[in-house]
Amino acid sequence: MAAGTVERSSSTARTRTRRFPALSFEGRMLAPALILLAALSLFPFVYIVIMSLSRVGLIGGIDLHWAGLHNWSKLFSDSSVGAAWVRSVVYFVLTVGLEMVLGIGIALLVHGMVWGKNLVISLVLMPMFMAPVIVGLLGRFLTDSTYGLYAWVLRETHVFSGDILGGTKSAFVAVTLMDVWEWTPLIALIVLAGLSSLPKPVLEAARVDGASYWQRLRYIVMPMIMGVVIVALLVRSMDAIRYFDIIYNTTNGGPADATKVVPIRLYETAFRFFDLGYAAAIGLSMLAVSILIANLFMRTLKRRGLAK
Amino acid sequence: MAGAGGAALWLGGCGGSSNSAKPVAGNEWKQFAGTTLNFISENTAPTSAIAANLAPFKQLTGIDIKITQLELTALVQKVALDFASGQGAYQIVYADPYQILAPYHEALVDLNTMMRDPNLPKLEDEADFIPVQLDAAGRFVDKDKVYALPYDAPTMIWQYRKDLFAKYGDRMKQDLGFDPTPSDNSTWEEFYKTSQWFLKNAKQDVPYGHGHQAKQHDSLMNDFSNVLWAYGGDYFKDGGTVGRFGSMDPGEPVLDSAEAVQAADVYRRLVSIAHPGSLGWDWDGLGAAFGAGQMAMAVNWHEFASGNETGKLKGKVGYARLPRGPKRSASMYGGTGLGINATASEREQKAAWLFVNWATSKKTQLAGLKSKVGGGTPTRDSVYKLPEVEKAKKPPSKMPNILTADAVFEAWKPENIGLRPKIAAWNECDTAIFTQLSKMLAGQQAPESCMRNTKDGFVKAIDNAASLKNA
Amino acid sequence: MKGGRIGNRVLIAVVMLWTLVPLLWMLLSSLKPTSDLASTTPKLAFTPTLEHYQALFSGGNHVGGYIVNSLVAAGVSTLIAVGLGTVAGYGLARSSFRGKDHVAFWIISTRMAPIAAAVLPLFVIFRATHLLGTTTGLVVAYLSFNLPFAIWLMNAFFADLPPALEEAAMIDGATRWTAFRRIALPLVLPGVATTAILCLVFSWNDYAFASTFSGPDSQTLPIAASQLVTQTNIDWGQLTAIGTIVVAPMIVVGLVVRRWLVTGLTLGAVTGE
Repeated sequence: MAAGTVERSSSTARTRTRRFPALSFEGRMLAPALILLAALSLFPFVYIVIMSLSRVGLIGGIDLHWAGLHNWSKLFSDSSVGAAWVRSVVYFVLTVGLEMVLGIGIALLVHGMVWGKNLVISLVLMPMFMAPVIVGLLGRFLTDSTYGLYAWVLRETHVFSGDILGGTKSAFVAVTLMDVWEWTPLIALIVLAGLSSLPKPVLEAARVDGASYWQRLRYIVMPMIMGVVIVALLVRSMDAIRYFDIIYNTTNGGPADATKVVPIRLYETAFRFFDLGYAAAIGLSMLAVSILIANLFMRTLKRRGLAK
Repeated sequence: MAGAGGAALWLGGCGGSSNSAKPVAGNEWKQFAGTTLNFISENTAPTSAIAANLAPFKQLTGIDIKITQLELTALVQKVALDFASGQGAYQIVYADPYQILAPYHEALVDLNTMMRDPNLPKLEDEADFIPVQLDAAGRFVDKDKVYALPYDAPTMIWQYRKDLFAKYGDRMKQDLGFDPTPSDNSTWEEFYKTSQWFLKNAKQDVPYGHGHQAKQHDSLMNDFSNVLWAYGGDYFKDGGTVGRFGSMDPGEPVLDSAEAVQAADVYRRLVSIAHPGSLGWDWDGLGAAFGAGQMAMAVNWHEFASGNETGKLKGKVGYARLPRGPKRSASMYGGTGLGINATASEREQKAAWLFVNWATSKKTQLAGLKSKVGGGTPTRDSVYKLPEVEKAKKPPSKMPNILTADAVFEAWKPENIGLRPKIAAWNECDTAIFTQLSKMLAGQQAPESCMRNTKDGFVKAIDNAASLKNA
Repeated sequence: MKGGRIGNRVLIAVVMLWTLVPLLWMLLSSLKPTSDLASTTPKLAFTPTLEHYQALFSGGNHVGGYIVNSLVAAGVSTLIAVGLGTVAGYGLARSSFRGKDHVAFWIISTRMAPIAAAVLPLFVIFRATHLLGTTTGLVVAYLSFNLPFAIWLMNAFFADLPPALEEAAMIDGATRWTAFRRIALPLVLPGVATTAILCLVFSWNDYAFASTFSGPDSQTLPIAASQLVTQTNIDWGQLTAIGTIVVAPMIVVGLVVRRWLVTGLTLGAVTGE
C-alpha cells in the first residue's frame, strides 16, 4: 500500500514538473513526510479493514481467518455498543460544549485584564500540560470517599454524601468535569491568541460610539473571532472522540456502565476480550464518525473562507 | 560477577564428565549465571517482598531478575500481547488462573518437563503445596500437566473490629437475640443484622456497619460469588470441577437458578445498608476505608491483614471464615501461580524454572512472610507448621498475615473454598457478571433480570470465545 | 464599570481556584508523611518529607529508567515530527495542485484514528519489524499522531506568510531552499516552537500506546504512575509524587514558551480574517 502511494505521489510530481517546472520543489518538500505518514497510516488502515472481516487468533502470532461480514452484522445488532454511542454523544457534547463556553469566557476575562495578565495566563494554562492518566488518577484521589479532598468538602457542606465515582450520575459528572478541567485551558489559549490579534482601533471606535460591553461582544468581537473558535473546536473535537485515559483510570466504564463510552468499549473488546476482529469493526466505525465531524467543521471553515 | 566466576570454575573442573559426576548440590543452580530474565507480576505481596530483596536469588544463581509489576487488568493485557508477539519478552509470568491460564495455557510451559529434567534443580516436595491450590492455580483440564506453581493465595475472609465487638457484644446479643461474634455458625442473615445494628447504635465509634467492593470491576464478581455459593447458586452445574480443574466445555450456565436469584437479592440488601462508598470501591478502596475506621466489618482478601496490622487498627482486627448461607460457607480463592512463557527460548525457559522453583520454595515463602514490604501468603503447608510461624499466629505478630491463618485454612477446605469458573471465555464472562450486578445495585434492574442477563452474557461470551478458538 | 471590575476579579479568583486546587493538592500530598495522608479529614499542616520521592528512586520500581525512556521517546519523536512536518508544511502551503484539499484532509484525518484501532495494526507491524518493546517502536508510534499534527499546523503557519518575501529573495538569486530557510523559516519560528511543544506534550503524556508497545526496557513515566495502583493499596504519596514529576517539566517548558504559544497560534490557522 505504501508503495502505491509513493508511486502516485511521484507521478503527480512528474506531471507537475512537466506543466509547471517550479512546483516540483514543493513535491520534494512534501515527499518524505507523506511517505512516512502513508506507511504509518495506509497500511494500518487496510490491515484493520481486513481484520474487521476476519476472526483473529492471538497465540503464537496474530493470524486472520476470513469471517465475511460477521463482525459488522454483530456491530449493528449489538445493543451495548449502541448504548455506548449514546453515552459518547452526550459525553462529547457536554465536555466539548462546556470547554468551549468556559474557554471563551476565560479568554475574554483574561484578555480584559490590565494587571497580572501574564501571570494569570500562565497559571490558567497549567492543566493542559498534564498527562490524562495523571488527571484521572488525581481525580480519583480527590473524589476518594475516604481520603478525597473534594469528597470531604462536598460531604462537610452537605452537598453530596455518597461515593462520587460510585453513583451513576455523579460518576458521569465527575469524569466530565475532569476532562473539562484539563482541556478548557487549550480552548482559552487558542481564543486568547485570536483576541490578541484583533485590531484595536475597531474596538476603540465602538467604545466611543457608546456601545455597551455586551453589544461590542455580540456584534464586533464574536464575529471576528469566529474562525478561531471553530479551529479550537476542531482541535479539541479530534481528541475528545479518541481519548479515554481519564475514564479508563477512574471508573473504567462503571458504575452500571454509566461512563462506558465507545473508546472504553473498544479498548475492552480489543485488550480484555481480545476479540480483535470485532474491535477492528468498532474502531472503523469510530474513525468514520470522527472523519464526518471533521468534515463538517472543515466545510464550515471553508464556507467562511477561513481554511488555508 | 562472583556467580559467573563460580560457574566457570565448575565447568572447568568437571570437564566432559558433567553428566555422570553430578555436581555438588547447588552448582546446577549456577548453570545460567549471567542471564537476565524478566518477571511480569501483579503488584502483589510476595512480588514486592522479592523485589525488595533479590540478592539471595542472584547469589544462588547469578541470574538477574527484572520485575515489572502491574495492576491485574494491565498485566493480563501485557501478557496476552507478549504471547501474541511470540517474542517471549517476559519469561516468568504471574499466571492468573482465570484471566491468563485458562485462555492462554497453550503459551505456558508444562512444568512437569522441568521437574523431570535431571539437569535442573529438583523441586522440593510438590505434595507440600496445598492440594486444592496446586489444582486451582496450576492446572487446566489436563490433570497430567502443571502450568504454574502456587505463588500466592489471597482468599476472601471476614475482617472485623474486635475492639468494637468487645465493647458492644453484650448489648448486640441482647438486642439481636444471637451472638454476633463471627464464628463457624454465623450466617449472612446475622451479618446483615449485625451491620444494621452498628449503623443504628454505634455512630460515635464507627460510621457504618460494613462495606463492599462493589465497583464495576472484577472485585464485584469476587464479592458477590461468596454469597452466590453460600445460597446454593453456582456458575455452572458442575461448578466444583469447572472451578478446580477448569473446563473446555462447561455446559450451560445455571446463573438464573432460584438460588442464584435469591443470592443476588441478598447481596443487593447487603449493599443497601453498607457504606455508600462501597459502590465505588474495589479491594483497594475497601481496604483503605476499613483501615481508616469507616466500618466495623468488611469482607476482603486476607492479605489486607498486613495493612491493618501496620496501620492505626493494629491489634484491633479479628479474622474469620465467611458467614454461611442456607447451603454452605464459601470463601473466594484468588491465588495465582508462576508459569513460564513457552514462547521464550529454551535456555531462558530453563533459567526461568530456577526462579519459579526458588520463588515458591519454603525458604523464600518464609522470607516473604517476614518482609516489611510484603506480608506474603505461603502456598506450602509446611511453612504454616514451622514453629516460628505457629508462634506468630498470636498478636502482636511479626508476620501479620499469619493472624489470618486459622480463617484461611478453614476457607481452603474443599467444602468451603470458592472457585470461580476456569474457562477460556472468563474475561468476557467476568465483565458480563460485574456489569449486570452493577446495574442491579444502581437500581436499574431486579435480581431476576440481573441474573438472567448475566446468564445470557455468559452464553454469548462462551460462544464468542469458541468461535475465536476455531479461528 | 467598577462593579464589573470587581465581578471580574471574583470570576478570575474562581477560575484560579478551580484550576489550581487540584495541582496544589497534588504537590502538597506528595510532600506529606504517609500517616498524614491517611487522615480522613484533609490536613494542611504537616512536616514536609521527601520520603515518597525517595521511594520512587529506590527499590524495585526505580523511576530513573522510566524518565530516560520518556525523554528519549517523546524527544526524538518530536524532533522528527517537527523537522519533517515543517518542511512538508511549507511544501503543502506553497503548492497548488488539484486534490490538495483532499491530501490536506487525509493528513489530518490520520490523527483522528481511535487509539485502540491505531494500536492493533501497529502491533502487527512492530511484531514483524521487531520494534515491540523498544524505544524506537514508541518513537514510531508517537510519529503516527505527531507527524500529521505537525504538518497541519506548520502548513497553517506558512500559508499565513505572504509568498512575496520569498519571491523577492529569489529575484535576488536565492534558490527555493535558501528562500525557505533564510526567509520563511525564521518568520515562523514561534509556530515551530508551538508545534514542538504540543507534540512534546502529547507524546510525553501518552499512556495508551506505551501501555501496549513498551516492554520491560522501554516503560515510560505514565506507565510507572499507573503501576502504583497495587493489589493492596494505592500509594497516594508516591502517586502524587510521580504525578508531580510527570507534570512539572511540561508545565515549565509550556510556560517558558507561553509567549510563543500565543503568538504562534495567532500567526497560524487562527488569525481570523
